[in-house]
Amino acid sequence: MSALELIQLASNIVFVALAAITIVAALRRPTRGNIDVALLFGSLGIVVLETRVQTALADVSPLWTISVSLLVMALPYFLLRLVNDFGHVAPRVRRAAEIGLLLSAVAIVLGGTPSPAPITLGLVAYFVVFATYAGVAFIPIARRTHGVTRRRMVAISFGSLVLGSALLVVAMPILIPDTAALSAALVQVLALVAALAWFVGFATPVALRRLWQEPELRAFLVRAAGLARLPDDSDVIEALQQGAGMTAGVTAAIGLWDQSHQVMRWVRDGEAIERGPGEFFAWPAFESGRTIFSADLSRERPQVAAAARDSRVEAAIAAPIKIESRRIGALVLYSERAPMFADDDIALAQLLAEQCAVVLESRRLAVEAAAARANELTARLKEDFMSAAAHDLKTPLTTLVAQAQTLERRMRSGKPADRAGVERIAREAKRLQHLVEEMLEASRIEQGALQLQRELVDVREIAAEVVARHPEAGRIRVEASGPASGLYDRLRLERLVENLVENAVKYSPPDAPIDVRLLRDGTELLLSVSDRGIGIARTDQERIFQRFERGGNVDDRSYPGTGLGLYICRGIAEGHGGRIWVESEIGTGSTFHVALPATEGAMN
Amino acid sequence: MDPALAADSGQSSRPERSAASPSGELTAREARPILIVDDDRSILETMSDLLHGEGYQVMTAADGQEALEAISRAPVSFVLLDMRMPRMDGWQFAKTARERGHRVPIIVMTAANDARRWAKEINADAYIAKPFDVETLLSLVKRFSERGRAN
Repeated sequence: MSALELIQLASNIVFVALAAITIVAALRRPTRGNIDVALLFGSLGIVVLETRVQTALADVSPLWTISVSLLVMALPYFLLRLVNDFGHVAPRVRRAAEIGLLLSAVAIVLGGTPSPAPITLGLVAYFVVFATYAGVAFIPIARRTHGVTRRRMVAISFGSLVLGSALLVVAMPILIPDTAALSAALVQVLALVAALAWFVGFATPVALRRLWQEPELRAFLVRAAGLARLPDDSDVIEALQQGAGMTAGVTAAIGLWDQSHQVMRWVRDGEAIERGPGEFFAWPAFESGRTIFSADLSRERPQVAAAARDSRVEAAIAAPIKIESRRIGALVLYSERAPMFADDDIALAQLLAEQCAVVLESRRLAVEAAAARANELTARLKEDFMSAAAHDLKTPLTTLVAQAQTLERRMRSGKPADRAGVERIAREAKRLQHLVEEMLEASRIEQGALQLQRELVDVREIAAEVVARHPEAGRIRVEASGPASGLYDRLRLERLVENLVENAVKYSPPDAPIDVRLLRDGTELLLSVSDRGIGIARTDQERIFQRFERGGNVDDRSYPGTGLGLYICRGIAEGHGGRIWVESEIGTGSTFHVALPATEGAMN
Repeated sequence: MDPALAADSGQSSRPERSAASPSGELTAREARPILIVDDDRSILETMSDLLHGEGYQVMTAADGQEALEAISRAPVSFVLLDMRMPRMDGWQFAKTARERGHRVPIIVMTAANDARRWAKEINADAYIAKPFDVETLLSLVKRFSERGRAN
């Protein structure tokens, strides 16, 4: 047996095997896709078998030859049917293929065997055009898809293009003399390559599917481990959908069951969708806890047929997402084309749904734990506040007690009271009073019971007075442009400016200048206090206005404080219908801005 | 039992030979000064006036940094140390002072509830909680000055 004959024998065996496999599959599961696959490979197998019989029997009837030729000419048509199952073939092209098939049949029957060269050339041209069409049509589909589906599309495209070239080789002896033997061998090889590529594409063996899915699945599992930590629920869902879709090579959707409203919540293209019981394909899967599959939604599921047509979905698998017996939601894999799915995709969908369940459950636990931590944090903040408040109160008390007792001792031993000592008592008593007032003020703000005593005041004056009173007035500049009078609560604004200036002094190096600016801007009066101090991290810039909260870079030992000052400032600003915010950079300094609505009285 | 006064028990209860008078008059000439460290100006002034009035020599510092400078300039009898201060706090001061080989006794004085724990943390010799009674402070100061002279 020559090498050529060996190749022929091998390829013939493969063709017959492919035919047998696909026919058995179609008989077991007669879906449209499976039937079309069986048609293509079955006819290929028959053609091969017939050719073998032909060569075995030296003498064959012309009828025999004609039937083989007809089957060969039917191949592009069967191929096109399959292409239509997987992708989309324009009706015009399908009609053209049908007409071409009819014309070929007529030409073969009338032309006799062997056909005259022009007819053969015409037949070859017909075959090559449609095989090439199929090959080219799959390129954009392959580009659009991913994972397993993309590889299948590439295989189909490749197979079709190889078949086209095989047919060109068939025509070779007509154009170039003495190449019949070479052409016969080449055709065998090319046809085998094409058939294998199609088989891989149209009827991917399970082992190969697994092999292709594995990297995506592995990537999904690796990513899934970190998903529970994403900040937002919808981010988690989106990442799961994307990962599941990539793994299965189709589109994936995840619905979460809302127990209190009895609806399934989906997100599609960033839009939230709610569906009640029975209103969506995955409902039976969710309800029964079993995975379901439909190859033809519009026929098999009348209740979702319209939705399926709208979103051009033909086939879908739905798997319940559950932790033990608790149902969380459902995972749906869907495709515009039915044959994208294979039996083992159902198992894959289950596996993906299980992973989703694990991620969503750990997400839930993480959220719960975070809430518990937040509660704990609030409690700790309160405790910190209590001890900071006690500390703050005890500091002036220390002087008060010690100084009073010292005076007492002096008087007992007949010395006069010293002036400095008495002044210290007065000063610390005042400070204590201020602290107590601050705590009361914070508590009033918290209860929403801040009552403003509005009167016509000049905020420029207030700022200047506060600064002048400050022991470090020398490094504080006040700048004002435009009128700054209005109906405000004088004492509250004093406290506001005092607190901001005090913070600026406290958190900046000694002698670093501090700027207080006042500006009338349209309907608002803008007050700002800038320092060149330690600054506030971006993440802290909202938080510091809350009660008991202080900047993360504020060491409690170096900068004692209650964390009430800015809370009170915000309360006063908002009590006036205004706002307070901060612009700051760590290490560079901070500028606190207060915007108060300008009032009628400000028009002078 | 006075919770404000602790540590240092058992040790150094040895009576001083040249027994000091309660007013401490004889200390002033020879004894090293007491260093008071506190960021609160009023407390510093009050304590300084009080101890001066009792005949002690006193130095003051507003934070750990100043205190370190003070003890490295001239030896002091002991340190009355506030813990929470800007620039350099009590912990840092105690650590640095020990690292530099100063074996000066330290009395922690703080308004925090953790006075005892903090005193332990920095291996202090005693602690006193703010606000304190003048009598308590004076007896503590007296005990430590006698100890200082005994050494």
